[in-house]
Amino acid sequence: MSNASGWHGLKRLFVQITPVIACLVGTEPVLADKPVFKIEISNHLFMPAEIVIPANTKVKLMVHNLDATSEEFESYELNREKVIMGKRKAVIFVGPLAPGEYPFFGEFHPETAQGKIIVE
Amino acid sequence: MLLTSVIVVLREVLESALLISVLVALSGTLGIPRRWVAWALGLGLAGAIGFSLGFNTVSDWFDGVGMEVVSASMQGLIYLLLVAFALLVLWNTNSTHTGSLLIRLIMVLIVALAVAREGVEVLIYMYAHTESLPHFIHALTGAVIGAAIGISVGVLLYYLLSYPAIGKSPTTGLVLLGLIGAGLLSQAVLLLIQADWVPSHLPLWDTTAVLSESSVTGKLLYVLIGYEATPTAIQVSFYFGGLAVLLTIAVLTAVPRSRST
Repeated sequence: MSNASGWHGLKRLFVQITPVIACLVGTEPVLADKPVFKIEISNHLFMPAEIVIPANTKVKLMVHNLDATSEEFESYELNREKVIMGKRKAVIFVGPLAPGEYPFFGEFHPETAQGKIIVE
Repeated sequence: MLLTSVIVVLREVLESALLISVLVALSGTLGIPRRWVAWALGLGLAGAIGFSLGFNTVSDWFDGVGMEVVSASMQGLIYLLLVAFALLVLWNTNSTHTGSLLIRLIMVLIVALAVAREGVEVLIYMYAHTESLPHFIHALTGAVIGAAIGISVGVLLYYLLSYPAIGKSPTTGLVLLGLIGAGLLSQAVLLLIQADWVPSHLPLWDTTAVLSESSVTGKLLYVLIGYEATPTAIQVSFYFGGLAVLLTIAVLTAVPRSRST
């Protein structure tokens, strides 16, 4: 009887600890396939200007710059910045994020290039 | 548009300007002629031009995250060179021996790497505004103003550090290098997170409400000490680990001096 409860205690401890270890080692997020979201830049505008991504998940943003001029994808809230040359694509990994709104902008043309990621 | 280019260029120039002015002030403290700066700037500029010409090639490396990996490596290398530099300064203050050639070489490498990394961003920004002449003139005017402010701050810091009461000992300069170096290390980790080479987690804390990274103070502190409103645990550990190493060396340079007097 005491043995069984001991086993349950151990199992409970393991269940509680495993996500912590996985989180620290980071195997899970690195190995898992990430959902891909596409954004285009055209005439110094982001299209779509708003994308919705799942909470607590790492996602892969594929940003395709259709303009001839380069742009820098920048976001203070997401802690991301990446230069995308004209007529080229770029990969930016984002997250995991808590639910909320995370604005981003094109640092080279911030007057028009504005967008946000909504995490739900 | 004008303000945007002022800010973009100022941020890049300021990062290198601070590093350069601390190193130049320190070479004054160590009695090393300042001619190495010209070599470092020339090398850095050439590096920036070469880097921007090969930008697309580098970007395509490692499945599209080549730029992050290369930038992070450059920043990590700057940090390691800063540690080597600090150790040589410590060795120098402990003996009459001057490893000045090696110190000069390390300073040239640090500044050249920093200028190449920041310079490429300025060049690409300017290139992005070559679609029309009025656009370019606007961007260029802003860039000149931004660069002028950045260089002025650097010159001001240089004179402050060369002030006899501070300039006699390398300790203050090394403490500043510790803060700059820790910021570079934390940025390098962030770049590797962006590239998905280092796992990312939810931020440890969020100080956006207290001090937003998009505010002027936030941007300034980002450049000065690598301020982040929402850092992850890995970034925080690298920041404080990196800071601890350089601060320890900085403090040690102050110890033998007080003993000998």
